[in-house]
Amino acid sequence: MRRVLVLALAGVVALAQPRAEAAAPTAREWLERMTESLATRDYDGLFIHTAGQQSETMRIVHRMEGGRSVERLVSLDGSGREIVRTPGEVHFYMPDRRVVLVEPRSDEGSLLKALPAPGPQLDSLYTLELRKGHRLLGRDVRVLDVRPRDEYRYGYRLWLDQKTAMPLRSEVVDGSGKTVEAIHFTRLEVGEGIDPRHLRPEVDTTGFQWVRAGRRGEPRVAGPPSATWLPRKMPPGFRLVVSRVQAVPGSPIPMQHLIFSDGFASVSVFIEPAAAKGPAPSESTTVGSANAFSTQMSGHVVTAVGEVPAATVRDIATSLAPVDAELSRSDTAPGPAER
Amino acid sequence: MTDQIREQISALLDGELASGEISLLVRRMERDAELRRAFGNYVLAGESLRAPGGLTASPGFAARVSAALEADGAAVTTPPVTGRHAPRRWLRPLAGAAVAAGAALAAILFVPGGGEGGGQLAESTAVPPAMIVASLPPGGASPTPAQNQRMAGYLVAHGQYASAIGRRNAWSNALAADPGITRVALEIVERP
Repeated sequence: MRRVLVLALAGVVALAQPRAEAAAPTAREWLERMTESLATRDYDGLFIHTAGQQSETMRIVHRMEGGRSVERLVSLDGSGREIVRTPGEVHFYMPDRRVVLVEPRSDEGSLLKALPAPGPQLDSLYTLELRKGHRLLGRDVRVLDVRPRDEYRYGYRLWLDQKTAMPLRSEVVDGSGKTVEAIHFTRLEVGEGIDPRHLRPEVDTTGFQWVRAGRRGEPRVAGPPSATWLPRKMPPGFRLVVSRVQAVPGSPIPMQHLIFSDGFASVSVFIEPAAAKGPAPSESTTVGSANAFSTQMSGHVVTAVGEVPAATVRDIATSLAPVDAELSRSDTAPGPAER
Repeated sequence: MTDQIREQISALLDGELASGEISLLVRRMERDAELRRAFGNYVLAGESLRAPGGLTASPGFAARVSAALEADGAAVTTPPVTGRHAPRRWLRPLAGAAVAAGAALAAILFVPGGGEGGGQLAESTAVPPAMIVASLPPGGASPTPAQNQRMAGYLVAHGQYASAIGRRNAWSNALAADPGITRVALEIVERP
């Protein structure tokens, strides 16, 4: 009997320990569930997008078709702009400019593995906290706080549907606790039966200019041979994950596109030859939670863009420098970012 | 200077002043040299000076702000089509009353660092330059259509490589890019 009791107690201890340790992973599992749900479930929802003093109603429709996600994001009461991601391309309709920007879709094959996803490294950069929240849209929710450990990234507060882990509400919070962007769903259908017709754009594109980026270069997982520009010193936790040459719609010249990620937040850097007009001033731009910093160096314009604080895009943009192609081949691959 | 004006300047620098009030304040600054000086001091005092990462204002900045305010008094109503300084290039194709007010503010706020700030930066890529940031209110200095399209293009391309929630946020911002955009002119100074 005593032996049974001891075994039983051992069992309780054994069960209890992983549970205590599992507190953080559970929050991380919720983050992973959310990411998976957003990427793989079928859904159709209306949400209010708020950034600064601007609010706009938008609709998102997402479906899996033949194992690939297709989606449409449309502004309902603002510019009327739409983004449609088809199996092969991304179309950005700008009725206010009478322009459709087209670029190849970029999530094929091995590239996916290099894309930002919640991982163990997250714990050194963010603290995750999970708690029960009030009901939203008639559903039970868990509230997940993703708090950065430093000032180089934003925090997120996510209200996740208990059943599907879909974010019913999300806020991007800066270092002072101010919400820089909020997305608040007012209606959300999740599950099969999302009508594919809702993925079609409603914009009448008669007379629109179609600006096609074209496939100037396939995306490549980052490595020294493909990168002619490399960071000298990065904000902690950010590392180069993808380097590619691409034509960005709206720009006549193909440019280098580098993607840096800390596992959750990501920053894109676009490098293009500078116009012959002479040096332009550095500029910082804010659009909702996205910051951009543009500067000129070595005859190029370097622009960093991402949902991170202004200082982070600035630090990343100004840390880049051209490297000799031969030299970069003999170098080791860019490792984790320096501190 | 009344408390109300102080509050308005503070709100302006925090990006919280309504566009109608921005126009009024700008018109007032146009007439009132003391107000322009006070505004320069406010900028220096740190209400609008975001010095991320411990960056600091250059010595003499207040004096140069004041000088710029004096010099740009006329530019408040008629931003130059081609100024002496490259930074003003983005003042050109603006339209609309609120935008015009914002452009005027940009003329006031931007303190050219001798006209070749970008060039200085280009030569000192290893060290992030010390810089002074004067913020404009949201919508204060609207980008040109080409700039807007470019920013939206960046966001769309960036969104393709962001996490699932990052993509949704980036693309939402691209859809909403027009009204909510804030542009900030930077003065680059050498780190001592």
